[in-house]
Amino acid sequence: MNTSPARSRFRQYWQLYAMMVIPLIYFILFKYVPMFGNVLAFRRYRPGMGPFGTEWVGLQYFKRFAQDPAFWRAFRNTLTLSLMNLVVNFPIPIIFAILLNELRNLRFKKIVQTVSYMPRFISTVVVIAILGELLSPSSGIINLFLKRFFDMEPIYFMNDEKYFRWIYVFVDTWQYTGWTAIIYLAAITGISSDLYEAATIDGASRIQQVFYITIPSIMPTIMVMLILNIGRLLSLGFEKVLLMYTPSNSAVSDIIDTLVYRTGLANQNYSYATAIGLFSGIIGVVLVSSSNALSKKLTGDGIY
Amino acid sequence: MRIRSSSFSTRAFDAFILLVMLGVLFTCLVPFIYMVALSLSSPKAIINNQVSFWPVGFNIEAYKQIFSYPNFFQAYRNTIFYTVAGTAIALVLTVMFAYPLSKPMLRGHGFITKLVIFSMFFSGGLIPNYLLISSLHLTQKVWAMLIPFAINQFNLIILINFFKSMPAELEEAAIIDGLDYAGILVRIIVPLSTAALATIALYTAVFFWNDWFNGLIYLKSKQFPVMLFLRNIVTGTSMVGDAAGAGDKTSIAISIKSAVIITSTLPIIVLYPFLQRYFVKGVLVGSIKG
Repeated sequence: MNTSPARSRFRQYWQLYAMMVIPLIYFILFKYVPMFGNVLAFRRYRPGMGPFGTEWVGLQYFKRFAQDPAFWRAFRNTLTLSLMNLVVNFPIPIIFAILLNELRNLRFKKIVQTVSYMPRFISTVVVIAILGELLSPSSGIINLFLKRFFDMEPIYFMNDEKYFRWIYVFVDTWQYTGWTAIIYLAAITGISSDLYEAATIDGASRIQQVFYITIPSIMPTIMVMLILNIGRLLSLGFEKVLLMYTPSNSAVSDIIDTLVYRTGLANQNYSYATAIGLFSGIIGVVLVSSSNALSKKLTGDGIY
Repeated sequence: MRIRSSSFSTRAFDAFILLVMLGVLFTCLVPFIYMVALSLSSPKAIINNQVSFWPVGFNIEAYKQIFSYPNFFQAYRNTIFYTVAGTAIALVLTVMFAYPLSKPMLRGHGFITKLVIFSMFFSGGLIPNYLLISSLHLTQKVWAMLIPFAINQFNLIILINFFKSMPAELEEAAIIDGLDYAGILVRIIVPLSTAALATIALYTAVFFWNDWFNGLIYLKSKQFPVMLFLRNIVTGTSMVGDAAGAGDKTSIAISIKSAVIITSTLPIIVLYPFLQRYFVKGVLVGSIKG
């Protein structure tokens, strides 16, 4: 009777709160405790003394990696690979979506679409294993082809640092073009057919319709996606790079994530590796939030 | 009606698109066709570089070999277990979190939603996560594979948005009929959300099926999932089995490697055409923000 409104609300909704308890504890333990575990970057780690380290050492580890050429090499490699990936793999799904939309045979369109996003669901391990077979210098079909038609000597694609970046980028093209195109296809589907009808009456060819109707209409989507991609610039496919990493291509294939993995887990320099990881994590947050703010300002649309 | 003069360019355009699309189909499928061909070819044909897109010297030796190899069998069983158990745990926890979070009238709703979103931008990173798992004594236990990934924030948001889009009248009617919130969730919300739940379950199942890195850092070899087994064959960390002793090592290894690739990917390739519409639903729901 004389319960406060807060209490009666609690009585009404207690099951909803109860439901949340386990997931919330889980969430704090597995998402937020590791987040605070980043303090290890400022503390000395001693085995068996807990994951948060033992005593404060200030910026010691940050200073150390700032002077470490291995860090700067990984930093440069990360940036180079990310930018190449952006330049190549940002436009391709847009072109693919536009061309796919121009297909007139709807059955064929459906088949191409379905097949094109399948690679997204194949394990990175399988993708790299297949790649190893395709590019194998002794038996791979690519080298066989080059030998048969161009009489070329076998190329050691997977071991030669010359090819690493391009292989990485094109594997991404293969894996994600169809998948990323879904967003653009959805945007194209939303374009009013009146526009195309009017353009046809005015005598615009289909190519002109692509340039004067389709592309301008999906421009907002393109802009949002571009900004999002810039926000995710540093997050490369760590597992893929790790799988493609060989000592002979390490000069270009060692990125920040693989450096953290090697110094942290293989060499057990936990604090040092955490410092490097934290540094790139913070850059990531800055990139995402500033590009999101930019997106909201320019297009009125962001992710959150 | 199109104007006659444009019909040639229109046809050329159509032909161009057709060509590009055939190229796309070819590139997407060829790697798999090549693997199937290699796995079914005789070692001799592989050494002599005779195999391209069709098996030469057809035989199923490679498949017989890998299924007689206990480590492969074990790894395959492990992966099935991780996929089933991991997906089940993830679904239960995600639903239990998403349903209350779809109710803005709850106290703390805004704050917890912010916690979730913030954790998508900034996370613990590799080392703090690793140290957490090891200080919880989860290393070398299958839980290390299952628990840390039970709640994926993207899936959670897909589900929250889906729950929010359900008509409020449903719940109001149920409350009048005397159901409590747990009852509403189990009897009304979950049965009406099968499409959204299927989408999330599929994403999660694919994640667990394909995961290898967590096996690498947390598990011992008996617990390895099949993808880690494959990775170890490829890097040469683990031997392909006794088969490598007989005949030419590399060529037998190639057909066996291909057979492992095909068998470990088969469930995804076979189920994919039937399930792909759920995948697409997910990406479109996920791209609409709540």
